[in-house]
Amino acid sequence: MATERELLAARLFTHAVFPVMKVILNDDPKMKQKFSDVEALVQFRAKDAAGDIGAWLVFNKGEFRVEQGIRDSPDITFSFSSVKKMNDMLAGKPVIPGISGFSKFGLLVKVFSLLLSLKIMMPDARPKKMDKKTLKVKLAFYMITTALSQYNKGGDPDMVKWTTKQPDRIYQITVDGTDIAAYLRVKAGKSKAGRGVYTRKRPFIHMKFHGIDGALAVLLRDVEFVEGVAKGFVTIEGAPEYAAQLNDFMQRIQAMLT
Amino acid sequence: MAKEVTGTTWTVYDANTMTQAEIYGSVLCELGEKYPEIVGLSADLAKSTKIGVFGDKFPDRFFNVGIAEQNMFGIAAGLAKSGLLPFVSTMAAFTAMRGLEQVRTDICYQNLNVKIIATHGGVSFGAAGTTHHCTEDISIMRSIANMTVIVPADGIETACAVRAAVEWPGPVYIRIGRGFEPTYYQSEDYGFRIGKAQTISEGTDITLICCGITVLQASEAAKILKEQDGLSVRVLNMHTIKPLDEEAVMKAVLETRRIITLEDHNVYGGLGSAVADVIAKSGKGCAFEKAGIPDCYCVVGYPEDLYCHYGLDCDSIVTKVREVMGRDFEEDESWEDEV
Repeated sequence: MATERELLAARLFTHAVFPVMKVILNDDPKMKQKFSDVEALVQFRAKDAAGDIGAWLVFNKGEFRVEQGIRDSPDITFSFSSVKKMNDMLAGKPVIPGISGFSKFGLLVKVFSLLLSLKIMMPDARPKKMDKKTLKVKLAFYMITTALSQYNKGGDPDMVKWTTKQPDRIYQITVDGTDIAAYLRVKAGKSKAGRGVYTRKRPFIHMKFHGIDGALAVLLRDVEFVEGVAKGFVTIEGAPEYAAQLNDFMQRIQAMLT
Repeated sequence: MAKEVTGTTWTVYDANTMTQAEIYGSVLCELGEKYPEIVGLSADLAKSTKIGVFGDKFPDRFFNVGIAEQNMFGIAAGLAKSGLLPFVSTMAAFTAMRGLEQVRTDICYQNLNVKIIATHGGVSFGAAGTTHHCTEDISIMRSIANMTVIVPADGIETACAVRAAVEWPGPVYIRIGRGFEPTYYQSEDYGFRIGKAQTISEGTDITLICCGITVLQASEAAKILKEQDGLSVRVLNMHTIKPLDEEAVMKAVLETRRIITLEDHNVYGGLGSAVADVIAKSGKGCAFEKAGIPDCYCVVGYPEDLYCHYGLDCDSIVTKVREVMGRDFEEDESWEDEV
């Protein structure tokens, strides 16, 4: 039976990582073209003594969404003998899933290419071209904000304690010179990841990354966060104590996803 | 200037230099040297209001009219008409109510350059009783056309306000306390400008908009709330009630979405109402609370006890903030994560 941490990690993958495929499908022209006429359901499913868990991807002629749970008759199913194995594969470790749906070989190839494209989010992936750099930064910030929210919704005790004591607050991330912006809203134990700039209230913390290269330097850990601030890659507006706490949660999440 | 604040209990090391009225008196003397057109008037309260200090220094430019406030304001209007710059001092209750018609019709109607320093505002003359309390004056004065209304936080800010009033055209009403109020500011060089709120502390969770004695209490409350609750509290010293710094109010509405106004005045018509007018005009929503003297004739007691009684001390402000922070004022948006 999966441990609570394994279930929480699976939740982060299915709720925070899978949804950012939408960004790739929208922003990568080749991938967009590849899925423009695809209509399919792709299931990820992990066995567990308490009941199988999973999520399925819905491709509908250029539209994309993620649904949670198990559904009947998907076009392709990736099956795992445990939640841990599913997590390991999604973290890029060598795990071979059971696959049903080989009859739709063309679809399978496309889905594999989409899954492989997620590797751009891995900490050691260093894109060279500016469009890929921009994509990596966007994926990272979208995923991080959603993962933080899901970490809370998934019941991590420390995160729940952290959000519960807070009034309505916005943790905003922006990248100068781009439209990349994401935020985490917390309020008395509730949380929400949002895209863009929150306009109904001034951010409690605003992390302003100065350009794509400044953001990548921090994301790739070429510089530590504090050093990134000192070097002008990122500016923090707001209480530094809370920025540090948020950074601590980000690191915990990254450890669970890699 | 040393001070210690615990609730509303403070230690005054040098009362004479701290009282608003004392500082007003000495600053007026200084200005009297520079501006020969300044004259002083009092209605038999020269000692209490400290304008007597000016009278001692410039006896031929000072007029004690006796207990005749209406006459005093009429005389001030005439002196202003003849090119002088009258500073008129009496208690707030005798300015805003007994002398109201002359203030309004003789001075403000003609937009005359008369500066009124009204002492013993709010419940600062607590033990003197209801006749000497004045919790209506801000409301009255801000409704009179041409009048500028200033409520300084302490003696230092009173000095700033008096200096600024000399250059400010038209009638000005500066409302101060009895004296013995503790100071917030250490020196005059913090950038006082009539009509421009002073940010005491930055914050994003809630804004406390205050004037007069509540500035110090609110600033202390903000420190406690940060330490104990992790709250980020913005404190604005809204020393000028009219013209109000609407930009600062709107920034507070849009950036913190929660506002409490604090004033030693009836909750009707004063700072809270002025701020509420701006919010209502904007059409923007926020959690809003006016803290002040309720619509009643105040009980009698020492001012420190009255501030506690009416929730204007540091501890009461902390409690009030916690209450307003827990208040939902609009339908929440969905808490589903966006993709």
